[in-house]
Amino acid sequence: MSFRAQTLLWLAQRASAAVLGVCVLVHLATMIYAVRGGLTAAEILSRTQGSAAWLAFYSLFVLAIVVHVPIGLRAVLGEWLAWRSPSRDWVLVLISSAIGFMGMRAVLGVYS
Amino acid sequence: MKRLALVHRLSGIGLALFLPLHFWALGQALQGEARLESFLRWTDQPLVKASEWAIVLLLAIHLSGGVRILMVEFLAWRDWQKNLAAAAAATALAIGLAFALASTAHAQAWPYKPVRFIVPFPPGGATDISARLLGQKLAEFWGQSVVIENRGGAAGGVGAAEAARAAPDGYTLFFPSGSVVTANQHVYAKLNYDPEKDFVPVTTVVSGPQVLTVPADSPYKSVAELIASGRAHPGKLTFGHAGIGSQTHLAAENFVHQAKLDALAVPYQGEGPGLAAIVGGQTHFFVGNVAASIGHIKGGRLRALGVTSKAEAPQLPGVPPIALTVPGFENVGWFGIVAPRGTPKAIIDKVQQDARRALGDAGIRERLFAQGLAPVGDTPEEMGRAMKAESEVWRVVVRERKIQVK
Repeated sequence: MSFRAQTLLWLAQRASAAVLGVCVLVHLATMIYAVRGGLTAAEILSRTQGSAAWLAFYSLFVLAIVVHVPIGLRAVLGEWLAWRSPSRDWVLVLISSAIGFMGMRAVLGVYS
Repeated sequence: MKRLALVHRLSGIGLALFLPLHFWALGQALQGEARLESFLRWTDQPLVKASEWAIVLLLAIHLSGGVRILMVEFLAWRDWQKNLAAAAAATALAIGLAFALASTAHAQAWPYKPVRFIVPFPPGGATDISARLLGQKLAEFWGQSVVIENRGGAAGGVGAAEAARAAPDGYTLFFPSGSVVTANQHVYAKLNYDPEKDFVPVTTVVSGPQVLTVPADSPYKSVAELIASGRAHPGKLTFGHAGIGSQTHLAAENFVHQAKLDALAVPYQGEGPGLAAIVGGQTHFFVGNVAASIGHIKGGRLRALGVTSKAEAPQLPGVPPIALTVPGFENVGWFGIVAPRGTPKAIIDKVQQDARRALGDAGIRERLFAQGLAPVGDTPEEMGRAMKAESEVWRVVVRERKIQVK
């Protein structure tokens, strides 16, 4: 892999980590705020359904995971299992796609 | 540093395994028509709760490691103490949020399935009537059924034991008469529940006086005539009650004691059966709750001789207080909600507030009034104090009347 590509992966890993950090905190803080405010699960779902802002936020959350997880696993597979062939990247693309599909399915379940 | 990186990496692998599973299960639960119900059932699964905890803990570890890495790489903080402090702060934050989440998640969803009230007496008694009246209104508020389960026997002990062993998740609440949680511990040498250790107070729902009745064809037309007959023929009079130590038993024993009678107590498995027995002429008198007795009185099957309150009960005009014949006599019964110890405080407070709201409803008040009951709706703290005081009163009465069951 070229130096430029490796640099891009490194940057993507850090940038997605920063996004995830913020998303996790926003997600937890929102849930706690909603619960402490006395909202029931039904009321929470009724607010998320049809809300473009929530759809955008959770889509960004899933996107950050889709970027962050395979880059991290790529390093683990390379360093611990010495798996550095192109097949590693294809497998990681598949894993990443599966996570993205399942994540968006859950997000759309909350949205629609 | 290497160890921290290893922990960060391992927690990342853990998250990479758990998150897809979490997404998949959540996505599955949110499909279809009844998705809210299935989602709520899903969140209540022990395995899901465990996986949520695992994710939160892994996140806390991974996030703190990530914070340290970002600080080292972007802020050039090489000092290990600063990094450690930053990582510890992130960990504390994440774990704090997780605890807050875990402690409130349960209350958030409550109630998403039917709530059951265990009534420790058979149907037809005052406890049962009060529970059903309140349960109907609460079901409207909660959008969930409130199922009344009658578990009669052992003066409320059978139902109490079942409620005490129920999961403290707010889906099983206990609806006793006062004596089950304030007198039984003094009456019974051995109890299969501990009123003080097994339950926490929620709210007193209603209170009301009791009424001394005799069969419609009884020769006794007044409290004075009943007392005179009892004194003239010691041991001949019998009275039924809802079980040894029950509210109706203690009220009758108190009457017998203060009227200086010698009468035989006949236990039944609840107020309903006890009333059925006196209607059938199997016993001579009964000190029952107005709620349970008023139908028989108005239906002409029982004759009311006196009420146990110091003043006349508005539901029974013309029925004098027993205190006019037996000076100082008074007995007030109550029914309320207690919860298995360990029930989340948020749920207890919600039940109390909703019960209070239900009891403020004009329709409910009217129906309770017709049953001879006055709505209360006090706080758990107030109920707890009242229970403690009443328990002390019954401790003395039971000891002096020697009605303890071995």
